[in-house]
Amino acid sequence: MKISLNWLKDYVDLSDLSTDEIVDKLTMSGLEVEDVSDENELYKNFIVAEVKSVTKHPNADKLSVCEVFDGKENLQVICGAPNVAAGQKVVFAPIGTIIPNGNFQIRKAKIRGVESNGMICAEDELLLSDDHSGIMVLNENLPTGKPITEALNLNDVIFEIAVTPNRPDALSHIGVARDLSAIFNRDLHIPEIKLKESKKKASDIASVEIIDSTNCPRYSAKVVLNVEVKDSPEWLKNKLTRIGLRPINNVVDVTNFILHEIGQPLHAFDLDLLEGKKIIVQSTTEEKEFVTLDSKVRKLPKGTLMICDAKREVAVAGVMGGENSEINSSTKNILIESAYFNPSSIRKTSKALQLSTDSSYRFERGTDPGITKYAAERAAHLIAEISGGEVAEGIIDVYPKIIERKEITLRYQRVTKILGYEISKEKIHQILSRLGIALKDINETSLLASVPTFRPDLEREIDLIEEIARVNGYDNIPVVPKISITLEQKVDQQKFEDEVRNIISSLGFSEMINNPLESEWEAKLTGNPITLANPQSVEMSCLRTSLLAGGLNSVKRNLNFGVRDMMLFEVGNVFNKKSDSSIKTFEDISEKQNLILILSGKEEEKFWNTQEKYFDFYCLKGLVNAFIKKISLDNQLADLYYSSENEIYSYYLTKNFKQQVVGTGGKVKRDVLNKFDINQDVFVFEFDLTALKQISPESKKYIEPPKYPKVHRDFAFIFDKNVQYLDVKNFILKKASKLLKSVELFDIFESESLGRDKKSMAFTLEYFDESRTLTEDEVEKDFNYLITEILKEFKAKLRG
Amino acid sequence: MLDEIINQIQNEFEKDILEADSLKKLEEIRIKYLARNGSVTLLFDKLKEASKEEKPVLGKKLNELRNSITEKFNSKKELLEKSETSAKEFIDLTLPGKKVKLGSKHILTQTLEEIKQIFKSMGFSVFEGPELESDYYNFEALNFPEDHPARDMQDTFFINQKFLLRTHTSPVQIRVMESMLPPVRAIMPGRVYRNEAINARSYCTFQQVEGLYVDTDVTFAELKGTLVSFAKQFYGSSLKYRFRPSFFPFTEPSAEMDITCFICNGKGCRICKNSGWLEILGCGMVDPNVFKYVNYDSEKYVGYAFGMGIERIALLKYGINDIRLFFENDLRFLKQF
Repeated sequence: MKISLNWLKDYVDLSDLSTDEIVDKLTMSGLEVEDVSDENELYKNFIVAEVKSVTKHPNADKLSVCEVFDGKENLQVICGAPNVAAGQKVVFAPIGTIIPNGNFQIRKAKIRGVESNGMICAEDELLLSDDHSGIMVLNENLPTGKPITEALNLNDVIFEIAVTPNRPDALSHIGVARDLSAIFNRDLHIPEIKLKESKKKASDIASVEIIDSTNCPRYSAKVVLNVEVKDSPEWLKNKLTRIGLRPINNVVDVTNFILHEIGQPLHAFDLDLLEGKKIIVQSTTEEKEFVTLDSKVRKLPKGTLMICDAKREVAVAGVMGGENSEINSSTKNILIESAYFNPSSIRKTSKALQLSTDSSYRFERGTDPGITKYAAERAAHLIAEISGGEVAEGIIDVYPKIIERKEITLRYQRVTKILGYEISKEKIHQILSRLGIALKDINETSLLASVPTFRPDLEREIDLIEEIARVNGYDNIPVVPKISITLEQKVDQQKFEDEVRNIISSLGFSEMINNPLESEWEAKLTGNPITLANPQSVEMSCLRTSLLAGGLNSVKRNLNFGVRDMMLFEVGNVFNKKSDSSIKTFEDISEKQNLILILSGKEEEKFWNTQEKYFDFYCLKGLVNAFIKKISLDNQLADLYYSSENEIYSYYLTKNFKQQVVGTGGKVKRDVLNKFDINQDVFVFEFDLTALKQISPESKKYIEPPKYPKVHRDFAFIFDKNVQYLDVKNFILKKASKLLKSVELFDIFESESLGRDKKSMAFTLEYFDESRTLTEDEVEKDFNYLITEILKEFKAKLRG
Repeated sequence: MLDEIINQIQNEFEKDILEADSLKKLEEIRIKYLARNGSVTLLFDKLKEASKEEKPVLGKKLNELRNSITEKFNSKKELLEKSETSAKEFIDLTLPGKKVKLGSKHILTQTLEEIKQIFKSMGFSVFEGPELESDYYNFEALNFPEDHPARDMQDTFFINQKFLLRTHTSPVQIRVMESMLPPVRAIMPGRVYRNEAINARSYCTFQQVEGLYVDTDVTFAELKGTLVSFAKQFYGSSLKYRFRPSFFPFTEPSAEMDITCFICNGKGCRICKNSGWLEILGCGMVDPNVFKYVNYDSEKYVGYAFGMGIERIALLKYGINDIRLFFENDLRFLKQF
């Protein structure tokens, strides 16, 4: 919202304050000034100049070479505007001037071979309007050479203020002035109205009926007769253009002026276009089309609050008037609407029509039901004054159920308890009074505050405490240098995932964070996706069902960046619908935390002392097992291998806890990779971290390393090729004595000499006992027994 | 006869030790003379065969032989070990070392960890809640009335009428308070979603850390104390700050905390939009209406709450100029942190 400093000064004396001081105090009391535009800065250097002569540019049809007098000398200036003519007074930017629109500096230049020493400006270049049809032609009486800040009164300061949704009262100049009056403790002057009324009674001329009084609690109307619709006087145009509004005509401009002065949106109807000279406020009972004054056809949903005349709709209440009753150049008699609408009704309409206006913006935040009469009268007075009309006597004011001021008890001790410091009673009284709050029943411990109707946000004691705190300044609240800590048991629900990140990154993986929103086909690869009702795009229409698609997209991006070797991981939530029916409760949703590991490219690069080596399934498995061991689940999870493909993997491995799969991974299928434009192998493992967290032991126990020597024995066998390592290992462990503590595969090979369908596997066995030194004999006995059993079981041959 | 053998061994050893020019050769000498099957050791076995009279004399001679050999052996060994570093073979020490692959945690994770650590040291617990939330937890119980413009402050991704992607971590406040009675002192980090256009400054998802403290004697002054302490630990102790009134439906009074722009030192620059200040978090005293939803007695209990965005903090702290870099996962970016 744009607020003019000069305009503010109409209501509160700020003459002794610097702009910086005002900006700082406004911001520090809750009306954040986001931008300050000081016209004295913006328009410094611009002067009034006179065009002495205009000749055609020798090398360009659309350009003119002008002789411009700046008050001291004649300058040659090139101008492209069609309307430039000798004798005009114009806004001139000498060399060195910074043009506000685009923020560029005017330099001496040659334009198509002819020298130019400055620029004659159009309104848009000065940010005075969007008009770029020609240069600004000034009043010929303005003195040549005078700075435009003086000549055109461009000496205002415009604030851009961000008003929070709880402060509808501050959406006007008087609203902001009221805060300033409280902050600087000075009087607020609200303009008095000296209304001259004709003998004709408004109530004889027009009438108002409210049918939907829930959504329209109050409707006030003033009638002004015999107006002449024309341009507004300069002072009014000036006020509006300063805050970025385009002047239209004297009637509409006054309604806009009132909106920005006091915050009450008004609408002016051409009274003669209102059938039966009647206003009826009611909600639509069916869907309808309606043409608003911007000439657009709007679809009104059922239940839209409308202003109607005796026969038809004439305005969308609180949002925009209709084309059919708009003020036009031949309008003579007008009806000024000044109403209070139910905020949520206006918000619904504004949302449904996707139309937000200065009016709807204020109504949906809550205007002041108490101000409608004043606003209508002030508007009528101003319109009559500048358009020569006469104000009909009296006001039509339909207000079936008066909205009373709220009364709130404020305890002084509660202010101290919440804020942590004491503010004097006098200060509290002063602040509340300046904000327009009437103080009643003041006693030792409390007061009763009567809250004006323009403050719908003040409903409870805590709301008053906030007012006191913000006006007195948050800076005055002490910063306590110590806090008390309650020694209850602390919880850290993220401890496990933090530890997981530490382990995985220590294994050499880099952490990714991918967008959890993805396309439907990606989400469908790995689950039953939950779809957004209002996605930004099809690429982001579903929640991820696993971390796979996000991860593969990151692989692809890295390949595009020229990074080919990668170890990536991510910890993130994944979402699945539990069934195909719609989501009604949390029971229908599965939200889990997953961990994904991704390997692609080379594990080892070719280096002067190493050979290059590509990541493979066994790298993946080794890293997965290292992780599992670190979280102490290495003896808890069972491995299950699948060499037959599924949707994602051409061969894969699952980690199971009891019957539950807690992780899956393997080599990603080529057709899946093709969908992501990836042309190298990718190995993936994805864990259900939520499940791992539940089964992972809270603490670790120390196991004493063996004290007695270990005995090692090796053997190698020739097996049929389809014999699996794990079967042999498990068989050995099953058959061996308890002294055998580990079996490791240390060699595997195939060759012609072994036979076509044969392979050799060599194992190292490790024997020891925690309580004694083993004898050669007992190891030898077990070792020989194992050889016999393996030969039998696998029809293997012992290698010499 | 043994005498002769002793002399012979002695002479042979003198010659061998003289010729030994490497530790490897020296080891051969040790095996030849002093090991279990070495010639000197074997001589001691022969001592058993000697007569009673000869034994003491021969024993003495053998001991002398062994001592002499051991001594010369050791001094030669020492000599060779010393000169090993200046070995004759050429070693190119400028060859590159083994390339060790380092993993990395995402810079946002690291930033979050630092924040968590500071609050944990102040006695805060860490809680989590779901990203897919209900309208009740995300808005209603946080005092966002239906059809209120306050809902426009946060562009929301909806699943349906009742469910949505949480727009802030504040719903976890409600979940935590539902699950326990005061005192509650917790931070609640997590991912949130906003239906905002993706560009250099905004993204459709980011992480927040929510904070909540409810007890019988909590004050705004203590909120300021806690957050100032946090900011000084995180941004540096010389930092300047201010608390500015603001509005959040679930706190009253509400504030935003600004710190001096550390890019321009408060002079005004593009990053701080010429104000000299950077907004780092929102905070306030828990609105009594929120306590109503979780059945806390707002006369008895007072609370404060705060929330901050991690991406914004990391952008500022590390001078990253485009928020999308966090989600591209370019390894050349990830590995820098």
